[in-house]
Amino acid sequence: MIGGYPIELLALQLFTGLALGSVFVLLAVGLSLIFGLLTVVNFAHGAFYMLGAYAGVFFIGYLGNFWLTLAVVPLAVGAVGLVVERWLVRPLYGRGIDYPLMLTFGLAYVLVEVVRILFGAEGMPFDAPDSLMGAVDIGVGYFPAYRLFVIAATAVLVLALWLFLEKTSYGLVIRAGARDGEIVRVLGIDISRVWLVVFALGTGVAGLAGVLSAPMRSVFPDMGTTVLVEAFVVTVVGGMGSLAGAVVAGLLVGVVVSMTSLFAPAMAEVSMFALMALVLLVRPQGLFGKKGLMG
Amino acid sequence: MSLANPQERLTVSGRRLAGLVSLMARHRVAAVLGFLLIFPFLLPYEALAVNILIYGLYALGFNMVFGYMGVLSFGHAAFFGLGSYATGIAIVHYGVPWLPAIGIGIVAAGLGAAVIGGLAIRTRGIYFAMVTLALSQCVYYLVYQMEDLSGGENGLRGVDVYDLNIPGLELTLIDPLTKYYFVFAFVALAVWLFSRLLASPFGAVLEALRENESRARACGTDVAMSKWLAFVISGLFCGLAGALNAIHLTIVPIESLHYHTSGLAVMMALLGGMGTFFGPFVGALTFLMLEDVITLVTVHWQLFVGALFVFFILFFPRGIWGTLLHWLSR
Amino acid sequence: MNDVTTSAEPIMRAESLGMRFGGFTALKDVSVAFPAGELTAIIGPNGAGKSTFFNLISGAFPPSEGRIYFRGRDITRTPQHRFARLGIAKSFQITNVFPQLTALENVRFAIQCMSQRFNVWTPRGRFAEMTERAASLLQMVGLDQHHHRLAMNLAHGEQRALEIALALACDPALLLLDEPTAGMSPEETTAMMDLITSLAAERTVVLVEHKMKLVMGISNRLIVLHHGELLAEGTPEEVRANDEVRRVYLGQGDR
Repeated sequence: MIGGYPIELLALQLFTGLALGSVFVLLAVGLSLIFGLLTVVNFAHGAFYMLGAYAGVFFIGYLGNFWLTLAVVPLAVGAVGLVVERWLVRPLYGRGIDYPLMLTFGLAYVLVEVVRILFGAEGMPFDAPDSLMGAVDIGVGYFPAYRLFVIAATAVLVLALWLFLEKTSYGLVIRAGARDGEIVRVLGIDISRVWLVVFALGTGVAGLAGVLSAPMRSVFPDMGTTVLVEAFVVTVVGGMGSLAGAVVAGLLVGVVVSMTSLFAPAMAEVSMFALMALVLLVRPQGLFGKKGLMG
Repeated sequence: MSLANPQERLTVSGRRLAGLVSLMARHRVAAVLGFLLIFPFLLPYEALAVNILIYGLYALGFNMVFGYMGVLSFGHAAFFGLGSYATGIAIVHYGVPWLPAIGIGIVAAGLGAAVIGGLAIRTRGIYFAMVTLALSQCVYYLVYQMEDLSGGENGLRGVDVYDLNIPGLELTLIDPLTKYYFVFAFVALAVWLFSRLLASPFGAVLEALRENESRARACGTDVAMSKWLAFVISGLFCGLAGALNAIHLTIVPIESLHYHTSGLAVMMALLGGMGTFFGPFVGALTFLMLEDVITLVTVHWQLFVGALFVFFILFFPRGIWGTLLHWLSR
Repeated sequence: MNDVTTSAEPIMRAESLGMRFGGFTALKDVSVAFPAGELTAIIGPNGAGKSTFFNLISGAFPPSEGRIYFRGRDITRTPQHRFARLGIAKSFQITNVFPQLTALENVRFAIQCMSQRFNVWTPRGRFAEMTERAASLLQMVGLDQHHHRLAMNLAHGEQRALEIALALACDPALLLLDEPTAGMSPEETTAMMDLITSLAAERTVVLVEHKMKLVMGISNRLIVLHHGELLAEGTPEEVRANDEVRRVYLGQGDR
């Protein structure tokens, strides 16, 4: 017993926090990736997450298969990301860091409203596939199978992303571009193509986060707003532009929120901000952030 | 010699419009107030005029940090909302008269800005927008939770100030025109103070920070302290706007604290022209008139507002007033 | 405020300064003293650690090791914005002015920083003495014809001169200049060197320079850095006669 709660309950709550944190990880990874290379803070990231959930609703109705939907959604959302980078964000490079930020902020209004027109303002149901329904015994008790799947899927995706960035030549180009776009240009690589790919990748991952969390959280046009704030908190805690920071901070925030909702439900929403404030006081650059980044 | 924003520095050319604009730039307080004085007679109904006054003031306060100092905050809803709630709670729960209640609203917003600003200036560059957004969202949740005081989801109701109780004057806010000039009196005072502040040495500090932070530091400016001070002063202005809004609406909707209210300040300031004196009022006027017209036609007015904002970012980042000044000064 | 003495008492002293960036050691165990009233030039080939050293003594960031003293006072961790009021001013390697303010407003702001930092009330127009002093500083650096031009519209050499005026605004006892002639035409360079010489008559000047022969004629003392270490110091004649310095510079082929 800890604080009047049995260990098993705490362990289950920990897993709930990890599942919640997994969604945060995916969002923060996409945000960080885009920022790291393009120095664009994507204020439409929550809207892309929302697009992912709605694309999920659409494709599962159309394809009838959850797994296929899971593969198609990030591609579809990433394609929207491609268009946005090429035609809206790109004209703003070199005009100051605030402009892409404000543009994506305005874009989020447009995306949310378009979805509202197409799908209505009401929430949409989205069920987990039958194979992931029910609960699994994880030693300390029964835990929803779907949430376990979300944790596993996130782990696989983060690992794949890490391998892509660290082990492939294209990943090397991306990492080099993040440090110095000039070097990449000198090597004869079209850096603007790299930016395009990274923006699509980041938004695609946000879309995947949206469809993955659809069965856990409800699907409605404004679902991206809260999530955007959560993603920012995670990014500030973890440190901008750091993959490791996004993973650790995402899980940490998820667990903190989930544990607070057990011990002090009223404070659950506020707890992540308290954590962020603490990090800002002790280590303003974030847990994994580098000092002086973008000074 | 002019102490205004460089964009507002115009030589009096032969062109009459340029002459007029230059005259306005030199007497900016008189120009704003003169226009706002006759303003309600130009609009179909006074409530819209009051809205434009209040949101113009809100965008003006925001513009101090965004336009003049060059720091983008996405958390100004917290100060607008805190001003609203503190004033409303003082009136509803503690029966405080309206004048001290407005004072309480301003102080509450200032305190909020002191805390949020104090945390946000510890970060640098692009983090600022993210941290201010997150912290203002935290204020939203806190107020939401304090249902006994704030009314939670339903907002705070019953902020009824009808009789102003000014000795010798029989003024009631039920008359829309009286309400307009009641709000106008506060806005006029705020606009004058704002102009005075811009013309002061601290106004030069704001410009210097926008132009070149590292050079300002080398000249001896305490950058963190100056930013914090500007943030708090900006919060005070936004708090006054919020306090007036509580009295205007007689309720405080929880949306006052929402992310979208922060975004509203950004959109209005940019639409009007960031870092220009008239811009925030031009932006508030454009935005609220458009909202008024478009909502008659469709419920999806956010689509148009979002698209318009994106259009301005791409093609007219100086905003309406800023672009006008730019054209005239060429 | 200005030290005109040429006594041996140093106005600034650096004690075994070291700086590491990650795994890279940019500066190692450099101890030097700057005698009051002298013009000291810091020279060295590219990558010698000159800029790092300059940034440390001008407070841009604190050193990894060592201490810095100004008039006997430890200023190693003093925030940079306090330097101006201590009497230390600097110019930057890359031109660093307020582009959208006029030349006069640039200098007036720097003057204002000394006394009216948080005044939110008094109209700036009331401080007539600031405007006068700004005008006299502009005259000193040869910009008296350009009071009302925006800094961004000034020629490169004029912008550098404006930056010197900004640095002079705090009436510094110690003036730190980072490659003040970088990117200048030969005429501009000559004018700048004359200006520096005249400024050095009234205050201590430390200047970082890449081109050795530029500073040979005007400086009292030279400090030579190489690979982040102190290679030599002394009068121009002593340094010129130093074998190691000759080797390093001759190895470079020119200068």
